[in-house]
Amino acid sequence: MQKMDCHNFKEMLDSYFCEELTVETNHSILHHAERCPSCRNEMASRRNLRLALQRACAQDQMSDDACERLRAMLRAEAAKVSEVRSLRRWWADFFDLKLALPIMAGAAALLVAVIGLATYRQLPISHNPAEAPAAEKLAALHLSDALMTEAASSHRTCAFHVEPDSTSQGMSNDEVKDFDPECVDLDKIVAEGAQGLPLCLAHVCGSSDRRFAHLIYRREGQLVSLLVTRRDGRAMQTGSVPTFIDGLADVQESKQTELNLDAYQTEKRVILVVSAMPKFENEKLARSLATPVVRHLRRVESQTALLEWPDFSRDLIGIELMTNVRGGKLR
Amino acid sequence: MIEDSAQNQLQRLQAFETEALVFTSQLYRVALRLCRDKAKAEDLVQETYLQAWRSFHRFEQGTNLRAWLYKIMFNVYYSGQRRQKLQFVGTEEIIAETIAYDPPTPQQLTDEEVLAALERLPKDFQIPILLADVEELSYREIADAMEIPMGTVMSRLHRGRKLLRTELTGYARNAGYRISK
Repeated sequence: MQKMDCHNFKEMLDSYFCEELTVETNHSILHHAERCPSCRNEMASRRNLRLALQRACAQDQMSDDACERLRAMLRAEAAKVSEVRSLRRWWADFFDLKLALPIMAGAAALLVAVIGLATYRQLPISHNPAEAPAAEKLAALHLSDALMTEAASSHRTCAFHVEPDSTSQGMSNDEVKDFDPECVDLDKIVAEGAQGLPLCLAHVCGSSDRRFAHLIYRREGQLVSLLVTRRDGRAMQTGSVPTFIDGLADVQESKQTELNLDAYQTEKRVILVVSAMPKFENEKLARSLATPVVRHLRRVESQTALLEWPDFSRDLIGIELMTNVRGGKLR
Repeated sequence: MIEDSAQNQLQRLQAFETEALVFTSQLYRVALRLCRDKAKAEDLVQETYLQAWRSFHRFEQGTNLRAWLYKIMFNVYYSGQRRQKLQFVGTEEIIAETIAYDPPTPQQLTDEEVLAALERLPKDFQIPILLADVEELSYREIADAMEIPMGTVMSRLHRGRKLLRTELTGYARNAGYRISK
């Protein structure tokens, strides 16, 4: 591995942000940034530039009109193709019969084909493939504001007690076993996504109504919380827990004053990542921290339910969908 | 049988819409940089989805749908623009030679300045930056989508980002002059 000096640092910094470096190189980057103030500044400036790019470009969205036109065009195309296919199949059948049987049978086949076509023409092709139920399903997955507030307040309260430079040895498993046996060794499960971020605190906290398995990591001087809690009625906006759906709406964002939250759901649990970092940063870090936890929980939950959940790594679909639901409609 | 076929078609369309239409804005942003015109960009996205739908049966479930859509979009775009694509080949080397030094990144930047600086880059640099830094595709996905080698993606990103910072330093310097006057 190359020695990490200021030159190499600057060369690799953008790839660090793109998560294209090995775990070891990530470490060297962070280590170098800790010791070198000028590189630390450059890191902040480049992150700033990246976020400005993302913000500025996010303003460009396809217009609603164009989206509607696109859908209409696809429907028309789908209807056209199915019509052509059926026609082809009927013709094929017709000629097969004609070759195999005498002319009388051929004429009968022709008659059948004509009747078949006539019936087909009358068949209505629905132009509304169940949009409303999908939107309802997604709305039912909305997490409650109460949960977001509780998660934010746990982050604030517990982070307040974290001393600078303190480190945690990991979760005490006796403590967490009572709360949720699947959260035993939670810090070890997250480790893959934490990519070497130092763990400062690991415990079970919260009130009697809402308890969390809580990990706090430090990242460039900022504290980041990962919280796991039960997906009960109080956690949902509607007050009732919907049966888990097809893995579409995984992530939901929220903002509680200075804090940004990103929440993922499994059938039985909610995983939240909270920090004071900018929205994009929190979202990205949340994806990285929560992914191994969600994967783990879905696996154990599916073992109990004998069901298989979709692969979580196709995550961007979820982000976009939830954003659109917040906008009040499904695109 | 007929009913089956129409029904199947609808189910396939629903699956396609659920999986693919979430990327419209992401595709549109890249289309906008390629076409530099809103109406043309919307047309490009439309055409991309049309082509994608027609070959959706060939798409391997479980592989990267987003990268596949981008790939179709580049194909659609470049098939109508073959001459322009060739024009870019020479410029890359020339530009790379003009930026021997790496300027520090300015700290104070408005979104507008950043966007304007991005717009000034040649498309060959703009698009990989957009894909990597804004849409957060991996370098491998970009190479697949643009059908260029991974090494080329990395060198274009490297040079493009440098160029972008040079542009921005220019802005910052100009802003400084204005203040001192």
